[in-house]
Amino acid sequence: MNNKIIASQALRQQYTKVEHPSGLTILLCPMEGFSTAYALFAAKIGSIDTTFKTQKEDDFVTVPAGIAHFLEHKMFESEDGDAFAKYAKTGASANAYTSFDRTAYLFSCTDNFRQSMQVLMELVTHPYFTQQTVEKEQGIIGQEIRMYDDSPDWRAMFNLLEALYQENPVRLDIAGTTESIAQIDADLLYRCYHTFYNLNNMVLAVAGNFDPKDVLELADEILKPGEDITIQWRKPEEPREVCTHLAEQSLPVSVPMFQIGFKGNAGNSLENLKKQVLCEILLEIICGESSPLYRELYDSGLINSTFSYEVLGGRDYLVSMYGGESRDPGQVYEKICLEVNHLRDEGIDPEAFERCRKAAYGRYIGMYCKSESVAGLMVLTHFSGMENMYDLLQLVQDLTLEDLNYCLLDDFSPEYSAVSIIHPVEQKDEAEG
Amino acid sequence: MNQKLNREQLAEGVFFSSVRDDKFRHNSISVNFIVPLEEETASCTAVIPFLLRRGSKSCPDFTRLEQALCNLYGAALSSDVTRSGEYQILSSSITFVDDQYTLNEEKISGQCAKLLGDMVLEPNITDGAFPQEDFQLERQNLIDTIEAEINEKRTYAINQCMALMNEGTPLAISKYGTVEQARKLTSQMAASRYAQIVDTARVEIMFVGCGDPTLAKEQFRQLWQKQQRHPRLYTPSPAVERASQVKEGKKEMEIAQSKMVLGFRTGSIQGRQERTAMKLMSALYGGTPFSRLFIHVREKLSLCYYCAARFDAATGIMMVDIGLEKDNKEQAKDEILRQLSLVSQGDFDGEELENTKLAYINSLKSVGDSLAAIESWYLMQILWYEQPASPEEDVEAVRAITREQVIKAAGQVTLDTVYFLTSKEDSHE
Repeated sequence: MNNKIIASQALRQQYTKVEHPSGLTILLCPMEGFSTAYALFAAKIGSIDTTFKTQKEDDFVTVPAGIAHFLEHKMFESEDGDAFAKYAKTGASANAYTSFDRTAYLFSCTDNFRQSMQVLMELVTHPYFTQQTVEKEQGIIGQEIRMYDDSPDWRAMFNLLEALYQENPVRLDIAGTTESIAQIDADLLYRCYHTFYNLNNMVLAVAGNFDPKDVLELADEILKPGEDITIQWRKPEEPREVCTHLAEQSLPVSVPMFQIGFKGNAGNSLENLKKQVLCEILLEIICGESSPLYRELYDSGLINSTFSYEVLGGRDYLVSMYGGESRDPGQVYEKICLEVNHLRDEGIDPEAFERCRKAAYGRYIGMYCKSESVAGLMVLTHFSGMENMYDLLQLVQDLTLEDLNYCLLDDFSPEYSAVSIIHPVEQKDEAEG
Repeated sequence: MNQKLNREQLAEGVFFSSVRDDKFRHNSISVNFIVPLEEETASCTAVIPFLLRRGSKSCPDFTRLEQALCNLYGAALSSDVTRSGEYQILSSSITFVDDQYTLNEEKISGQCAKLLGDMVLEPNITDGAFPQEDFQLERQNLIDTIEAEINEKRTYAINQCMALMNEGTPLAISKYGTVEQARKLTSQMAASRYAQIVDTARVEIMFVGCGDPTLAKEQFRQLWQKQQRHPRLYTPSPAVERASQVKEGKKEMEIAQSKMVLGFRTGSIQGRQERTAMKLMSALYGGTPFSRLFIHVREKLSLCYYCAARFDAATGIMMVDIGLEKDNKEQAKDEILRQLSLVSQGDFDGEELENTKLAYINSLKSVGDSLAAIESWYLMQILWYEQPASPEEDVEAVRAITREQVIKAAGQVTLDTVYFLTSKEDSHE
């Protein structure tokens, strides 16, 4: 077993990276003084993994949209019962989630850590699917999809991704559609499981109040070395151009809601993780609360306090987004694009850069302070190919104005941008007369 | 974990409480003005935090304030209105990196406390009014916020059920008030309401973090010593114990998924033991992924993605909510009520109760790991109970609850209101 200690002096923190003989990478960060332990067992499979093959297969297979999320729901069942019932005996609070590029099973607990860890390890290594249980889940996930159909935030974001991307599966809803999940059966679930849930394609990260010995002993006991499967993804042939600059939908909302997105020049996961840091700072400089443009939009009543920004980045996709409510989203979009063009021409104000970098530094420090976010950071940096989770903080510290100006030219172009608008139902009806 | 609550009076009706734990790397300070939620003043009170956030006398320019916050390592300054039972809480806070973790150990704590103090006690009021432009914007934002309640259907349905259930009482009033009221506000009214709140509200200042609270405490003591206060005492009305008859509410909207909310009264609850028993009963019934509602309504009948119960000790109300197909409404309702009736008949085993206790204790023991959770925990303890208890003390209370107490709690619950938000009859799905 290969162990490596990774430390940060600035944060007075360290964690251990263990290469377990089973093929699994285990990341352990005990945190003094905390009561909770937070564990994340993650597989590198998300909603974008729709077309893939292994080294043993000749042809790529395309699976129905939403299968990674469906698999996540079904992993909670096994021949000897439901994982929630097993966690119930330990008191842990357990859950799971599926994102664009990963699926994670998690629990947090203050007592009985070892028992909960055993449940977690058994859960991800014991698939059990039958036609009957698959059909039952179609009803439950069908309602989850319905719930998101009514969520204007969610719809605004996916309409934006559909507008920005032509081929990349990031444009598909994570849970799929009622139609796509109807095509899922037990055999397909097993195929996905055996491809993606091999321990070489997974990581276990634990942070907070726990004894690393418990994790390693259980890993020796439960995790069996498997064949190292090489997964090949079909890289989407995504052009730089967007599908459309405007996406619209009507839903019962009070005032129009919007998401504005800039489609970045996406690279691999590691490049995109670094770019995410830069894009976040750029979003603040362009139209964050400390910017003159934010003030102008706010004071003219074009945006309100719901206005916010975020960056979405992973394998082959990178989007910098602004979202909120506005009576005139078109004008907000126009003004933001004008400001982007202005900054692209003039370069970034060095003072704004220093200020926003300092703010980002403070924000990033916050991520190393809770067991939940530390475990999340360990998974994120590992899957992105970053050796050390503290490199992310170092990246913020070492940023230069040149890096930022370069990113602005590379990843923020109004030509490759779009706005997604959710109109209030009544207003639209009236307008249609 | 060694988190002791220290509490001190700074002025008439103004208290400073602190919890210190050196495992954190941040500090959070909040100033909470607590006033009764009343129809005439709700909107006027609700606009104030947003006006305060625009800037203070010492820094009236919003952009300069934001830039100062960036230079303070992204310190987060916020101001909002929340509610707890019949109280409306005007809450302003700042969260910042402790001096030990800044680059070159730069000292920022004092400046952060001052920014917050200036924001809440040195607002930008001239000649008895907030700046007219700021006021116009924030009044419109308040109106938009009230109207935007329909955007999130789950919360909207819960709020509608709450309002219908408590018609004519303070519990029916929204924490933001109404659009009609908001339209009538003027900048002078907001400034005069602000002065009234500073004079009469109960004020709770909370400091949680790894830093030394002394400096912040002394800064606030000085600020408050300038004020002559006349705190107004307010006792919330006792909770309605039983439902007389079941009220029904329904609204149609263009939505894909229907939402049903059931509001229950929970009887007369006296003291911590009974309160804890009701919380535990509610968790066993619908608060965990192995609860009655999750297992039967979601997993066995496959009717929904979520179906959950929550008990709010501040109102004595338990709410069950579910997102479902409209044709399944009656089947879901029958099962939800049947499960409650089974719990009240004692149809659960010792293991089920023990497991629910473990989950509840897990959540109590987790409180101490988050600044926000600690702050909210102690603020609620201080607000509602004579003796603020630590999460650990509540753990002991949970352990002591017996099966009989849970059965008794379930037996006290009566259905008051059923609210149904559903798709339009003629809309195709």
